[in-house]
Amino acid sequence: MDTSREDVGISIRSAFLRKGTQQRFSLFALTVVSILLIFLETIEAKPLNVIRSIIKDFVYRSAVVATYPTEIFSGSYNLLQKHINLYENYNDLKKQNEDLKNERSKSDFLELENSQLRKLINEQVKLGSNLVSARVMLDVQSPYINSFIINIGANKDIKNGMAVLDGENFIGRIVDVNFFSSRILLITDLNSKIPIISEPSGNHAILSGHGSTEPTLEYLSKDHKILDGDKIYTSGKEGIFSPGIPIGEAKIKKDTIKVRLYSELNEITFVNVSLKSIKENR
Amino acid sequence: MGVSSKEFWIKVVGFLPLLILFFISLNGSSVINIKFFSINIHYILVYYWVLRHPQSLGYGFIFLSGVISDVVLGLPFGINSLSLLFVAGVAAYVRVVTVRITLVNDWISFIPALLFANFVYFVSLYYSNISVEYIYLLKNSVFTFIFYPILWGLFSLFVNLIKS
Repeated sequence: MDTSREDVGISIRSAFLRKGTQQRFSLFALTVVSILLIFLETIEAKPLNVIRSIIKDFVYRSAVVATYPTEIFSGSYNLLQKHINLYENYNDLKKQNEDLKNERSKSDFLELENSQLRKLINEQVKLGSNLVSARVMLDVQSPYINSFIINIGANKDIKNGMAVLDGENFIGRIVDVNFFSSRILLITDLNSKIPIISEPSGNHAILSGHGSTEPTLEYLSKDHKILDGDKIYTSGKEGIFSPGIPIGEAKIKKDTIKVRLYSELNEITFVNVSLKSIKENR
Repeated sequence: MGVSSKEFWIKVVGFLPLLILFFISLNGSSVINIKFFSINIHYILVYYWVLRHPQSLGYGFIFLSGVISDVVLGLPFGINSLSLLFVAGVAAYVRVVTVRITLVNDWISFIPALLFANFVYFVSLYYSNISVEYIYLLKNSVFTFIFYPILWGLFSLFVNLIKS
Protein backbone atom coordinates (compact mmCIF):
# COMPACT_ATOMS: atom_id res chain seq x y z
CA MET A 1 0.00 0.00 0.00
CA ASP A 2 2.78 2.39 1.03
CA THR A 3 4.79 1.51 -2.05
CA SER A 4 1.88 2.34 -4.38
CA ARG A 5 1.30 5.63 -2.55
CA GLU A 6 4.98 6.44 -2.92
CA ASP A 7 4.76 5.60 -6.63
CA VAL A 8 1.89 8.05 -7.10
CA GLY A 9 3.86 10.70 -5.21
CA ILE A 10 6.92 10.12 -7.33
CA SER A 11 4.84 10.27 -10.54
CA ILE A 12 3.15 13.53 -9.50
CA ARG A 13 6.50 15.06 -8.53
CA SER A 14 7.97 13.91 -11.80
CA ALA A 15 5.09 15.36 -13.83
CA PHE A 16 4.77 18.68 -12.04
CA LEU A 17 8.16 19.58 -10.62
CA ARG A 18 10.64 18.32 -13.20
CA LYS A 19 11.21 20.38 -16.29
CA GLY A 20 10.95 17.30 -18.51
CA THR A 21 12.13 16.81 -22.07
CA GLN A 22 13.20 20.07 -23.67
CA GLN A 23 11.03 22.07 -21.24
CA ARG A 24 12.37 25.34 -19.89
CA PHE A 25 9.85 25.76 -17.10
CA SER A 26 8.29 23.28 -14.69
CA LEU A 27 4.51 22.97 -14.61
CA PHE A 28 4.49 23.83 -10.92
CA ALA A 29 6.33 27.12 -11.44
CA LEU A 30 3.99 28.16 -14.26
CA THR A 31 0.92 27.18 -12.24
CA VAL A 32 2.12 29.43 -9.40
CA VAL A 33 2.70 32.27 -11.88
CA SER A 34 -0.87 31.79 -13.26
CA ILE A 35 -2.38 31.95 -9.77
CA LEU A 36 -0.33 35.08 -9.06
CA LEU A 37 -1.63 36.64 -12.28
CA ILE A 38 -5.22 35.94 -11.26
CA PHE A 39 -4.63 37.63 -7.90
CA LEU A 40 -2.88 40.58 -9.56
CA GLU A 41 -6.02 41.12 -11.65
CA THR A 42 -7.90 42.04 -8.50
CA ILE A 43 -5.44 44.82 -7.67
CA GLU A 44 -6.20 48.23 -9.19
CA ALA A 45 -2.97 50.18 -9.37
CA LYS A 46 -1.85 52.62 -12.06
CA PRO A 47 1.41 50.87 -13.02
CA LEU A 48 -0.43 47.54 -13.27
CA ASN A 49 -3.17 49.09 -15.40
CA VAL A 50 -0.56 50.58 -17.73
CA ILE A 51 1.13 47.19 -18.14
CA ARG A 52 -2.24 45.50 -18.75
CA SER A 53 -3.17 48.12 -21.36
CA ILE A 54 0.13 47.67 -23.20
CA ILE A 55 -0.20 43.86 -23.21
CA LYS A 56 -3.83 44.01 -24.38
CA ASP A 57 -3.10 46.53 -27.14
CA PHE A 58 -0.22 44.35 -28.37
CA VAL A 59 -2.28 41.12 -28.26
CA TYR A 60 -5.25 42.74 -30.06
CA ARG A 61 -3.02 43.98 -32.88
CA SER A 62 -1.43 40.53 -33.21
CA ALA A 63 -4.89 38.95 -33.15
CA VAL A 64 -6.00 41.18 -36.04
CA VAL A 65 -3.14 39.78 -38.13
CA ALA A 66 -3.92 36.20 -37.05
CA THR A 67 -7.59 36.52 -37.99
CA TYR A 68 -6.89 37.59 -41.60
CA PRO A 69 -6.94 34.01 -43.01
CA THR A 70 -10.26 33.19 -41.32
CA GLU A 71 -11.75 36.52 -42.38
CA ILE A 72 -10.79 35.86 -45.99
CA PHE A 73 -12.27 32.37 -45.78
CA SER A 74 -15.51 33.47 -44.10
CA GLY A 75 -15.78 36.41 -46.52
CA SER A 76 -15.51 34.10 -49.52
CA TYR A 77 -18.02 31.70 -47.98
CA ASN A 78 -20.52 34.52 -47.35
CA LEU A 79 -20.07 35.78 -50.90
CA LEU A 80 -20.75 32.31 -52.26
CA GLN A 81 -23.83 31.94 -50.05
CA LYS A 82 -25.15 35.30 -51.25
CA HIS A 83 -24.71 34.24 -54.87
CA ILE A 84 -26.50 30.96 -54.24
CA ASN A 85 -29.43 32.72 -52.56
CA LEU A 86 -29.58 35.55 -55.10
CA TYR A 87 -32.91 34.64 -56.70
CA GLU A 88 -34.58 33.95 -53.36
CA ASN A 89 -33.30 37.26 -51.95
CA TYR A 90 -34.49 39.11 -55.02
CA ASN A 91 -38.04 37.86 -54.53
CA ASP A 92 -37.96 38.69 -50.81
CA LEU A 93 -36.68 42.19 -51.47
CA LYS A 94 -39.29 42.76 -54.16
CA LYS A 95 -42.03 41.84 -51.70
CA GLN A 96 -40.47 43.99 -48.96
CA ASN A 97 -40.25 46.92 -51.35
CA GLU A 98 -43.95 46.69 -52.15
CA ASP A 99 -44.80 46.53 -48.45
CA LEU A 100 -42.57 49.52 -47.70
CA LYS A 101 -44.19 51.56 -50.44
CA ASN A 102 -47.54 50.91 -48.83
CA GLU A 103 -46.23 51.82 -45.38
CA ARG A 104 -44.52 54.98 -46.57
CA SER A 105 -47.62 57.08 -46.90
CA LYS A 106 -48.64 56.11 -43.37
CA SER A 107 -45.22 57.00 -41.92
CA ASP A 108 -45.16 60.39 -43.71
CA PHE A 109 -48.38 61.27 -42.00
CA LEU A 110 -47.09 60.09 -38.60
CA GLU A 111 -43.89 62.09 -39.02
CA LEU A 112 -45.87 65.23 -39.72
CA GLU A 113 -48.11 64.59 -36.76
CA ASN A 114 -45.06 63.92 -34.56
CA SER A 115 -43.36 67.21 -35.48
CA GLN A 116 -46.55 69.13 -34.83
CA LEU A 117 -46.92 67.53 -31.41
CA ARG A 118 -43.28 68.29 -30.56
CA LYS A 119 -43.89 71.94 -31.41
CA LEU A 120 -46.95 71.86 -29.21
CA ILE A 121 -44.95 70.75 -26.16
CA ASN A 122 -42.00 73.05 -27.03
CA GLU A 123 -39.55 70.17 -27.15
CA GLN A 124 -36.16 71.04 -28.56
CA VAL A 125 -34.81 68.19 -30.60
CA LYS A 126 -31.05 68.15 -30.27
CA LEU A 127 -29.03 66.45 -32.91
CA GLY A 128 -26.21 64.58 -31.27
CA SER A 129 -22.80 65.20 -32.75
CA ASN A 130 -21.12 63.60 -29.77
CA LEU A 131 -20.41 60.29 -31.44
CA VAL A 132 -16.99 58.89 -32.15
CA SER A 133 -16.71 56.30 -34.89
CA ALA A 134 -14.54 53.24 -34.55
CA ARG A 135 -13.69 50.16 -36.54
CA VAL A 136 -14.31 46.68 -35.15
CA MET A 137 -10.91 45.00 -34.96
CA LEU A 138 -11.97 41.71 -33.43
CA ASP A 139 -15.34 40.07 -33.15
CA VAL A 140 -15.32 37.55 -30.30
CA GLN A 141 -18.71 35.84 -30.34
CA SER A 142 -19.54 32.54 -28.80
CA PRO A 143 -22.32 31.31 -26.48
CA TYR A 144 -19.96 32.25 -23.66
CA ILE A 145 -18.54 35.59 -24.67
CA ASN A 146 -20.00 38.19 -27.00
CA SER A 147 -17.77 41.20 -27.41
CA PHE A 148 -16.09 43.45 -29.95
CA ILE A 149 -12.66 44.99 -29.79
CA ILE A 150 -12.56 48.45 -31.39
CA ASN A 151 -9.57 50.47 -32.53
CA ILE A 152 -9.98 53.49 -30.24
CA GLY A 153 -9.41 53.78 -26.53
CA ALA A 154 -8.15 56.30 -24.01
CA ASN A 155 -6.54 58.19 -26.93
CA LYS A 156 -10.06 59.26 -28.03
CA ASP A 157 -11.45 59.89 -24.54
CA ILE A 158 -13.32 56.59 -24.39
CA LYS A 159 -14.41 55.60 -20.88
CA ASN A 160 -15.98 52.55 -19.30
CA GLY A 161 -19.77 52.46 -19.45
CA MET A 162 -20.21 54.49 -22.64
CA ALA A 163 -23.02 53.40 -24.94
CA VAL A 164 -22.06 51.88 -28.29
CA LEU A 165 -24.34 52.23 -31.30
CA ASP A 166 -24.60 50.67 -34.71
CA GLY A 167 -25.94 53.61 -36.66
CA GLU A 168 -28.59 54.77 -34.20
CA ASN A 169 -29.24 51.42 -32.55
CA PHE A 170 -27.86 50.42 -29.18
CA ILE A 171 -25.62 47.32 -29.34
CA GLY A 172 -23.58 47.37 -26.13
CA ARG A 173 -21.36 49.29 -23.76
CA ILE A 174 -17.65 49.84 -23.19
CA VAL A 175 -16.28 47.58 -20.45
CA ASP A 176 -12.51 47.80 -20.87
CA VAL A 177 -10.43 50.70 -22.14
CA ASN A 178 -6.78 50.47 -23.21
CA PHE A 179 -4.61 53.14 -24.85
CA PHE A 180 -5.49 52.29 -28.45
CA SER A 181 -8.32 49.78 -28.12
CA SER A 182 -11.45 49.09 -26.11
CA ARG A 183 -13.75 46.17 -25.47
CA ILE A 184 -17.48 46.39 -26.06
CA LEU A 185 -19.73 44.06 -24.10
CA LEU A 186 -22.54 43.29 -26.53
CA ILE A 187 -26.15 43.15 -25.35
CA THR A 188 -26.23 39.46 -26.23
CA ASP A 189 -23.47 38.63 -23.71
CA LEU A 190 -24.31 36.60 -20.63
CA ASN A 191 -23.08 39.44 -18.40
CA SER A 192 -25.05 42.21 -20.10
CA LYS A 193 -28.01 43.70 -18.20
CA ILE A 194 -29.55 46.87 -19.66
CA PRO A 195 -32.57 48.76 -18.26
CA ILE A 196 -35.14 49.27 -21.01
CA ILE A 197 -38.58 50.67 -21.66
CA SER A 198 -41.10 49.28 -24.10
CA GLU A 199 -43.24 51.38 -26.41
CA PRO A 200 -46.18 51.86 -26.62
CA SER A 201 -46.87 49.67 -23.56
CA GLY A 202 -44.47 51.73 -21.41
CA ASN A 203 -43.22 48.86 -19.24
CA HIS A 204 -39.80 48.92 -17.61
CA ALA A 205 -37.59 45.81 -17.61
CA ILE A 206 -34.02 44.57 -17.77
CA LEU A 207 -32.70 43.33 -21.09
CA SER A 208 -30.58 40.33 -20.29
CA GLY A 209 -28.13 38.60 -22.66
CA HIS A 210 -27.83 34.82 -22.80
CA GLY A 211 -25.16 34.28 -25.43
CA SER A 212 -27.75 33.74 -28.15
CA THR A 213 -28.69 36.29 -30.82
CA GLU A 214 -31.89 37.34 -29.05
CA PRO A 215 -31.65 38.69 -25.47
CA THR A 216 -34.68 38.42 -23.19
CA LEU A 217 -36.66 40.79 -21.00
CA GLU A 218 -36.46 40.11 -17.26
CA TYR A 219 -37.87 41.62 -14.07
CA LEU A 220 -41.08 42.62 -15.82
CA SER A 221 -44.14 43.41 -13.73
CA LYS A 222 -46.73 40.62 -13.73
CA ASP A 223 -49.41 42.78 -15.32
CA HIS A 224 -47.23 44.07 -18.16
CA LYS A 225 -48.86 44.91 -21.46
CA ILE A 226 -46.01 44.16 -23.85
CA LEU A 227 -47.20 42.83 -27.18
CA ASP A 228 -45.42 41.19 -30.08
CA GLY A 229 -43.67 43.89 -32.12
CA ASP A 230 -43.44 46.50 -29.33
CA LYS A 231 -40.39 48.73 -29.70
CA ILE A 232 -37.65 48.42 -27.06
CA TYR A 233 -35.56 51.47 -26.06
CA THR A 234 -32.97 52.18 -23.36
CA SER A 235 -34.75 53.67 -20.36
CA GLY A 236 -31.77 55.62 -19.06
CA LYS A 237 -32.75 54.56 -15.55
CA GLU A 238 -29.26 53.54 -14.49
CA GLY A 239 -28.03 57.06 -15.25
CA ILE A 240 -25.31 56.01 -17.64
CA PHE A 241 -26.96 55.83 -21.05
CA SER A 242 -29.25 58.37 -22.60
CA PRO A 243 -32.89 57.27 -22.64
CA GLY A 244 -34.65 56.44 -25.90
CA ILE A 245 -31.89 54.71 -27.84
CA PRO A 246 -33.61 52.08 -30.02
CA ILE A 247 -32.63 48.46 -29.39
CA GLY A 248 -35.11 46.16 -31.09
CA GLU A 249 -38.61 44.70 -31.15
CA ALA A 250 -40.34 42.41 -28.67
CA LYS A 251 -40.95 38.86 -29.80
CA ILE A 252 -43.18 36.86 -27.48
CA LYS A 253 -42.36 33.17 -27.36
CA LYS A 254 -44.37 31.13 -24.84
CA ASP A 255 -43.55 32.61 -21.41
CA THR A 256 -40.42 34.49 -22.42
CA ILE A 257 -40.17 37.80 -24.20
CA LYS A 258 -37.24 37.89 -26.54
CA VAL A 259 -35.94 40.97 -28.31
CA ARG A 260 -35.23 40.87 -32.02
CA LEU A 261 -32.34 43.34 -32.37
CA TYR A 262 -32.41 46.04 -35.04
CA SER A 263 -28.72 45.45 -35.72
CA GLU A 264 -27.25 42.30 -37.15
CA LEU A 265 -24.28 41.89 -34.81
CA ASN A 266 -22.39 39.54 -37.12
CA GLU A 267 -22.24 42.11 -39.89
CA ILE A 268 -21.00 45.17 -38.04
CA THR A 269 -17.73 46.73 -39.20
CA PHE A 270 -18.03 50.26 -37.79
CA VAL A 271 -19.64 51.45 -34.56
CA ASN A 272 -20.37 54.79 -32.91
CA VAL A 273 -19.43 55.41 -29.31
CA SER A 274 -21.63 57.94 -27.54
CA LEU A 275 -19.49 60.32 -25.49
CA LYS A 276 -22.48 62.35 -24.30
CA SER A 277 -24.02 60.21 -21.63
CA ILE A 278 -21.21 60.10 -19.12
CA LYS A 279 -20.10 63.72 -19.62
CA GLU A 280 -23.63 64.93 -19.08
CA ASN A 281 -24.14 62.88 -15.97
CA ARG A 282 -20.98 64.13 -14.31
CA MET B 1 26.83 21.89 -43.07
CA GLY B 2 23.69 22.99 -44.89
CA VAL B 3 20.24 21.86 -43.91
CA SER B 4 18.52 19.76 -46.58
CA SER B 5 15.07 20.80 -47.74
CA LYS B 6 13.60 17.61 -46.24
CA GLU B 7 15.06 18.41 -42.80
CA PHE B 8 13.84 21.97 -43.14
CA TRP B 9 10.27 20.88 -43.86
CA ILE B 10 10.35 18.36 -41.02
CA LYS B 11 11.32 21.22 -38.70
CA VAL B 12 8.57 23.44 -40.10
CA VAL B 13 5.95 20.71 -39.73
CA GLY B 14 7.23 20.06 -36.20
CA PHE B 15 6.22 23.62 -35.31
CA LEU B 16 2.67 23.07 -36.53
CA PRO B 17 1.14 22.17 -33.11
CA LEU B 18 2.68 25.36 -31.73
CA LEU B 19 1.32 27.39 -34.64
CA ILE B 20 -2.18 25.93 -34.18
CA LEU B 21 -1.96 26.61 -30.43
CA PHE B 22 -1.19 30.31 -30.94
CA PHE B 23 -3.54 30.63 -33.90
CA ILE B 24 -6.56 29.44 -31.92
CA SER B 25 -5.58 31.65 -28.98
CA LEU B 26 -5.20 34.79 -31.07
CA ASN B 27 -8.27 33.98 -33.13
CA GLY B 28 -10.42 33.48 -30.04
CA SER B 29 -11.54 30.17 -31.48
CA SER B 30 -10.36 27.83 -28.74
CA VAL B 31 -13.99 26.76 -28.33
CA ILE B 32 -15.74 25.79 -31.53
CA ASN B 33 -19.51 26.17 -31.50
CA ILE B 34 -21.47 24.56 -34.28
CA LYS B 35 -25.18 24.69 -33.52
CA PHE B 36 -25.64 22.34 -30.54
CA PHE B 37 -22.01 21.19 -30.44
CA SER B 38 -19.36 22.95 -28.43
CA ILE B 39 -15.81 21.62 -28.45
CA ASN B 40 -12.75 22.96 -26.68
CA ILE B 41 -9.97 22.43 -29.21
CA HIS B 42 -7.44 24.05 -26.89
CA TYR B 43 -7.75 21.32 -24.24
CA ILE B 44 -7.57 18.49 -26.78
CA LEU B 45 -4.52 19.99 -28.49
CA VAL B 46 -2.62 20.53 -25.24
CA TYR B 47 -3.58 17.14 -23.82
CA TYR B 48 -2.60 15.14 -26.91
CA TRP B 49 0.75 16.83 -27.52
CA VAL B 50 1.87 16.94 -23.90
CA LEU B 51 0.90 13.29 -23.54
CA ARG B 52 2.38 11.95 -26.74
CA HIS B 53 4.97 14.44 -28.00
CA PRO B 54 5.92 16.79 -25.16
CA GLN B 55 8.95 18.05 -27.09
CA SER B 56 6.59 19.76 -29.59
CA LEU B 57 4.71 21.85 -27.05
CA GLY B 58 6.58 23.59 -24.25
CA TYR B 59 4.81 24.41 -20.99
CA GLY B 60 5.93 28.02 -21.37
CA PHE B 61 4.13 28.26 -24.71
CA ILE B 62 1.00 26.69 -23.24
CA PHE B 63 1.06 29.28 -20.46
CA LEU B 64 1.56 32.10 -22.97
CA SER B 65 -1.25 30.89 -25.23
CA GLY B 66 -3.54 30.78 -22.18
CA VAL B 67 -2.70 34.40 -21.35
CA ILE B 68 -3.36 35.41 -24.98
CA SER B 69 -6.72 33.59 -24.86
CA ASP B 70 -7.62 35.48 -21.68
CA VAL B 71 -6.83 38.81 -23.31
CA VAL B 72 -8.75 38.02 -26.50
CA LEU B 73 -11.78 36.62 -24.66
CA GLY B 74 -11.78 39.41 -22.09
CA LEU B 75 -11.18 37.22 -19.06
CA PRO B 76 -8.89 38.09 -16.15
CA PHE B 77 -5.25 37.19 -16.88
CA GLY B 78 -4.26 33.69 -15.83
CA ILE B 79 -7.60 31.83 -15.94
CA ASN B 80 -7.10 30.04 -19.23
CA SER B 81 -3.40 29.47 -18.61
CA LEU B 82 -4.16 27.84 -15.28
CA SER B 83 -6.80 25.55 -16.84
CA LEU B 84 -4.46 24.61 -19.69
CA LEU B 85 -1.60 23.92 -17.29
CA PHE B 86 -3.88 21.58 -15.33
CA VAL B 87 -4.70 19.73 -18.56
CA ALA B 88 -0.96 19.57 -19.31
CA GLY B 89 -0.30 18.39 -15.74
CA VAL B 90 -2.72 15.46 -16.00
CA ALA B 91 -1.26 14.59 -19.42
CA ALA B 92 2.28 14.67 -18.00
CA TYR B 93 1.22 12.44 -15.09
CA VAL B 94 -0.50 9.94 -17.41
CA ARG B 95 2.63 9.89 -19.59
CA VAL B 96 4.76 9.01 -16.57
CA VAL B 97 2.51 6.18 -15.36
CA THR B 98 1.51 4.53 -18.67
CA VAL B 99 3.61 2.37 -20.92
CA ARG B 100 1.33 1.38 -23.80
CA ILE B 101 -0.11 3.98 -26.14
CA THR B 102 -3.77 3.26 -26.85
CA LEU B 103 -6.63 5.50 -27.73
CA VAL B 104 -8.80 4.07 -24.91
CA ASN B 105 -6.13 4.82 -22.27
CA ASP B 106 -5.71 8.36 -23.51
CA TRP B 107 -9.44 8.89 -23.83
CA ILE B 108 -10.33 7.72 -20.32
CA SER B 109 -7.52 9.67 -18.72
CA PHE B 110 -8.79 12.75 -20.54
CA ILE B 111 -11.83 12.76 -18.20
CA PRO B 112 -9.92 13.89 -15.06
CA ALA B 113 -8.02 16.41 -17.18
CA LEU B 114 -11.29 17.93 -18.35
CA LEU B 115 -12.80 17.86 -14.88
CA PHE B 116 -9.76 19.55 -13.29
CA ALA B 117 -9.51 22.18 -16.02
CA ASN B 118 -13.20 23.06 -15.96
CA PHE B 119 -13.23 23.13 -12.19
CA VAL B 120 -10.33 25.59 -12.18
CA TYR B 121 -12.04 27.61 -14.93
CA PHE B 122 -15.33 27.68 -13.06
CA VAL B 123 -13.81 28.65 -9.69
CA SER B 124 -11.66 31.40 -11.21
CA LEU B 125 -14.60 32.87 -13.13
CA TYR B 126 -16.83 32.63 -10.06
CA TYR B 127 -14.43 34.76 -8.02
CA SER B 128 -14.01 37.20 -10.91
CA ASN B 129 -17.73 38.05 -10.86
CA ILE B 130 -18.22 36.79 -14.41
CA SER B 131 -21.44 34.86 -15.06
CA VAL B 132 -21.00 31.20 -15.81
CA GLU B 133 -23.57 29.10 -17.60
CA TYR B 134 -23.25 25.70 -15.97
CA ILE B 135 -25.21 23.84 -18.64
CA TYR B 136 -22.98 25.26 -21.35
CA LEU B 137 -19.85 24.30 -19.41
CA LEU B 138 -21.17 20.76 -18.97
CA LYS B 139 -22.20 20.49 -22.62
CA ASN B 140 -18.79 21.74 -23.68
CA SER B 141 -17.02 19.16 -21.49
CA VAL B 142 -19.15 16.30 -22.81
CA PHE B 143 -18.66 17.21 -26.46
CA THR B 144 -14.93 17.86 -25.96
CA PHE B 145 -14.65 14.37 -24.49
CA ILE B 146 -16.68 12.79 -27.31
CA PHE B 147 -14.72 14.64 -29.97
CA TYR B 148 -11.29 13.66 -28.56
CA PRO B 149 -10.85 10.41 -30.58
CA ILE B 150 -11.38 12.27 -33.87
CA LEU B 151 -8.61 14.75 -33.16
CA TRP B 152 -6.50 11.96 -31.64
CA GLY B 153 -6.75 10.14 -34.98
CA LEU B 154 -5.92 13.28 -36.96
CA PHE B 155 -2.92 14.14 -34.79
CA SER B 156 -1.63 10.55 -34.85
CA LEU B 157 -1.92 10.54 -38.63
CA PHE B 158 0.00 13.78 -38.74
CA VAL B 159 2.76 12.39 -36.47
CA ASN B 160 3.03 9.24 -38.63
CA LEU B 161 3.35 11.42 -41.73
CA ILE B 162 6.24 13.32 -40.18
CA LYS B 163 7.94 10.08 -39.14
CA SER B 164 7.58 8.52 -42.57
